[in-house]
Amino acid sequence: MKEVVIDSLGEACPIPLVKAQNAMKEMEIGDVLIVQIDHSCAMKNLPEWARKEGHNVEIEEVDDAEWEVIIEKAK
Amino acid sequence: MDGLKAVLNKLRDNEVYKQWFKNPLTYVMGAVLLSILQIATLAVTGNPWGVSGVFANWGAWIFEALGGSVDKWYYFSSAGAQNTLQQGFLNHTGSMRNLGIIVGALFATLMASQFKIKKIKNKKQIIAAIFGGLLMGYGARIGFGCNIGALYSGISSLSLSGWIFGLAMFFGAMVGSKLLVKFFM
Amino acid sequence: MSDTTNTNSSGSISTTRRRSSRPRKPKKNMIPIGLAVALVFVIIGILLAQRSAMLGFFWMTGIAFGFVLQRARFCFTASMRDPYLTGGTSLTRAVLIAFALTTIGFAAIKYGYFAKGLPIPGMSYVVPISLATIVGAFMFGIGMVIAGGCASGTLMRVGEGFMMQVLALVFFVVGSLWGAHDFEFWKYFFISKGKAVFLPDVFGWTGAVFVQLLLIAVLYVVALKWEQKKSNE
Repeated sequence: MKEVVIDSLGEACPIPLVKAQNAMKEMEIGDVLIVQIDHSCAMKNLPEWARKEGHNVEIEEVDDAEWEVIIEKAK
Repeated sequence: MDGLKAVLNKLRDNEVYKQWFKNPLTYVMGAVLLSILQIATLAVTGNPWGVSGVFANWGAWIFEALGGSVDKWYYFSSAGAQNTLQQGFLNHTGSMRNLGIIVGALFATLMASQFKIKKIKNKKQIIAAIFGGLLMGYGARIGFGCNIGALYSGISSLSLSGWIFGLAMFFGAMVGSKLLVKFFM
Repeated sequence: MSDTTNTNSSGSISTTRRRSSRPRKPKKNMIPIGLAVALVFVIIGILLAQRSAMLGFFWMTGIAFGFVLQRARFCFTASMRDPYLTGGTSLTRAVLIAFALTTIGFAAIKYGYFAKGLPIPGMSYVVPISLATIVGAFMFGIGMVIAGGCASGTLMRVGEGFMMQVLALVFFVVGSLWGAHDFEFWKYFFISKGKAVFLPDVFGWTGAVFVQLLLIAVLYVVALKWEQKKSNE
């Protein structure tokens, strides 16, 4: 079980999503990806993409306008 | 004071409040609300929504404040354009609407308790903002608008130009995506 | 930081298990500032409306546009960029819905004027098609993806506190002035030779609305299929 953290703070759409997509390709089922973001649009499109792909997703607002999107690779 | 704070925190954590002011609306809901505003705008003002044309006026006012003159420019030569420039920023309806968009977004972010000044992270972002801004500004002037005025309002006004604009913009966005991934990521 | 190793082989994340990499901080409540901003913009709205009703209308609808754009994270840039870049088309489809709804409303208003023999409103948005349209839209497409937001998106993100978009806005204004300066060239060589096409002139009013809604519906289905295809790759 691996855990990968991507620091995408300060990065605009679509960079967090593209980075997450690339990281996901390298990961095994059961691995966890944590993407740190502060871009309010990424907070919507990143979980949306991950859910559509069938992964398990949690969003946590860790600070004012800062989120961690926690994705567990499910397939 | 503590009582008031407790009430405000209770409000912030209230589920109904969250639905209206915190959790993002669906994209489809956004589409419906924007359409209503667009239709109201055409009905009341006789023109659809536009954004980027205003920026040329902002540029002209700043240029003139710095001592330049746009009087000889073809773009500003019509009586209407000259009149708008003379009336000034505070009497310009389009400028008020663009300022309103900034204030409306600020208001929405504050009501969700999600406002934060996001600093520029690196040099790549500076270069991206400069080139992206210039390309958008120039492109919008020669293409009669942006994705609001030329695309959204153009198509909705049953103008073929809106569709052509959208098609060319789609290919531009593809090239932009390639550049973004290669140089700005 | 509590439990980062997952022993649950079923692969489901239970909502009680938090795996955030940082401890949670108490969050600020910004509602009072939000309400103060609302009070200020209402006062400004009233003052503007006293100057002229139109100024007040533009100001208040601007705020409504900004509010809706931010609340829905509505992004025209993403609607054009994501099909190619990430394979997602949910925003593309939402934009198509907006086009369809607004088309119906606009056509109704325009036809109302036409039927009464009055000049049709908003015809200044039916512009000539020329090479300038294509070059301009292409440039705009590149710019908005790189700068992380189109015109409305840039304004919205300025309101959200993004310094990068403040800079993009400054250069958007500079670029607009540059474009206005060169406009005579484009007008003389290209735009003046282009032709404006108002679809009701070609298909009739009913036909134009029908053809346009059909095209939007086809694009909607294509976008949906595209997303499904990309998702299965």
